Amino acid sequence: MDPDSVYLSSEMPDRADHLWKYTSWKKAHPTGNVREIPDTVSSPKIVLKTIDGSSLPEGISLVHDQTEFDDLPNEEIITKSFMQSVTEDSKFTLSVDPKFKSAIPIVLDIQSNGNYCAAHLCLKIGRLAEFELVTIIKGECEWFGLMRTGSTGEGSVCNDVFVNKLSKGVTLRVESISIPRNSQFKSGTVSSGSTLTKADLRFRMFEPGASLNVLGSILSAGRMSLDHHIEIYHDSPETFSRLDWNSACGGSSKTIGTGMLRVSKGSSGADAAQLFSNLLLSGDAQADSIPELEVSEHDVVGCGHGTASGPVDENQMFYLESRGMSPRESRSTLIAAFLNSTLSEMGGDLMHGWLVSELEDDLNELGY
Amino acid sequence: MSNGDEAILEVRGLKVGIEDTPILKGIDLRIPKGEIHAIMGRNGSGKTTTANVIMGHPAYDVEEGEILLDGENLQEMEPWERSRKGVFLSFQYPQSIPGLQVGNFLRKSVSSVRGEEAARGSEFREKLNQAMEELDIPKSFLSRYVNDGFSGGEKKRFEILQLMLLEPRLAVLDETDSGLDIDGIRTVAKGINSVVKETENGALIITHYSRILEHVNPDRVHVMIGGRIVASGGPSLAILLEENGYDWLEEQVANGVDFE
Repeated sequence: MDPDSVYLSSEMPDRADHLWKYTSWKKAHPTGNVREIPDTVSSPKIVLKTIDGSSLPEGISLVHDQTEFDDLPNEEIITKSFMQSVTEDSKFTLSVDPKFKSAIPIVLDIQSNGNYCAAHLCLKIGRLAEFELVTIIKGECEWFGLMRTGSTGEGSVCNDVFVNKLSKGVTLRVESISIPRNSQFKSGTVSSGSTLTKADLRFRMFEPGASLNVLGSILSAGRMSLDHHIEIYHDSPETFSRLDWNSACGGSSKTIGTGMLRVSKGSSGADAAQLFSNLLLSGDAQADSIPELEVSEHDVVGCGHGTASGPVDENQMFYLESRGMSPRESRSTLIAAFLNSTLSEMGGDLMHGWLVSELEDDLNELGY
Repeated sequence: MSNGDEAILEVRGLKVGIEDTPILKGIDLRIPKGEIHAIMGRNGSGKTTTANVIMGHPAYDVEEGEILLDGENLQEMEPWERSRKGVFLSFQYPQSIPGLQVGNFLRKSVSSVRGEEAARGSEFREKLNQAMEELDIPKSFLSRYVNDGFSGGEKKRFEILQLMLLEPRLAVLDETDSGLDIDGIRTVAKGINSVVKETENGALIITHYSRILEHVNPDRVHVMIGGRIVASGGPSLAILLEENGYDWLEEQVANGVDFE
């Protein structure tokens, strides 16, 4: 069945579902009419480059009109079929050769186009590749959909950071990434863009030695609503995952972080932990974090989850003010520090420096 | 280098409480330029409150009295304004701030207190390198997060590193010697001396022990009991106190003994 038919014949999701509890599909849909698939969805302009403007090394390329991906278990059929429909003419494959190495982070610069814009990006990472990738979306569209699927290569090391710099509108982000034997994958999310974000991020470790770090630095203000759902599957022995998700929310904004950690039977030696931390910057801001575990294997190293929320610490404020920083600067410094705790883990020095600079811009733009 | 009558710090009739509980019941203290004074006292006597109130901690209510720095009343100033005027507090328990790198924090602090120029270029780097060397702090320290995972000794050295870079008019050091071994005390004392001795700056050292005072040679020692300064004298008062204890001192004060 083609994706259009799959989508239109599917039952629309229930608000009681874990995934749709806080942001309904109606809100994440481009028009709000969930029974339609808009035919005016444009393809964005995507440029592959290096973070410092130097020439792109050989062994990495972006190809239009090609996608291939493995299905992950429990994928959300609605978003998947919908995204497949609207990206029919907007498919890209990022191919990375085996043993590709780059000390300079690679950037996928995605500029939105038109009111509704979407792309399907397939990651095809060769074995033993080692590199850092920043996927950044920019522009002013009303709705942006990004589906990223694919697999990392055996023994590869990849730091993959997604940055949302859209100035307004709705972002729907769907990810399904498979991580094979001895592959280390870091997935960072830096988000302070869009008025509403609905993200469904799924990762599956399907061979021994696979390792995953999921990191979030989320900053919201005004009436923004940023909803991230992260599912991590341990489907093989000796797999490792960590989820550290920091959200700072001010104004009357809302951040949501829902985590689902599934350890299947037979995944002995799995080591997993999830931590959601929220910094509340105003009385009207709201942060919801719901980590969940489904552990079907008893022989695990550990499977833990936690969540913490609180306002800016008054003692930390006093400490910084005692060093001459004004209340505004102290507060801004503490927000940046909170977000940097996860930001600094996303990549090497070059990428980190770039991300910090982006974060400082965001803090200024959002009035912190 | 004591400079006679001109005071850096003058505290007059200071009464302070927290949530309706009186803590300081009338403190008078005067530190002339170039002098180091020490305050000793039991736990709960009001030493840390005195330090925090001088820095302007918002949790305390100043009910009566004045705090003057170089003749200027600090009372209406916020902590950051006091810092920019030249007050520095070395915290007994410095805050850890995960995510804020030491190097970045030092630059921001120096820029805030001494101006942007002071935090730029080779002069800042040289000063930083020299201070770190004197305090035996490795370069790798700069990329760590502020006080995050620091040992007790590292925290105290880091406070003194800030003191050396900020060059305050008045350094208030709240139990900077606690938790330090002999070498640590010597190193920290060296840092304090480099900022205060032979200058017109001043320092107020709060401590339980006379050990650090052996290395910084205070001009005056004050003893606090129950929210009041009950005795003041020369450096020998610290030794007498350590040898005989607070009960003895209270007895002496009750008998009208003057330690001047």
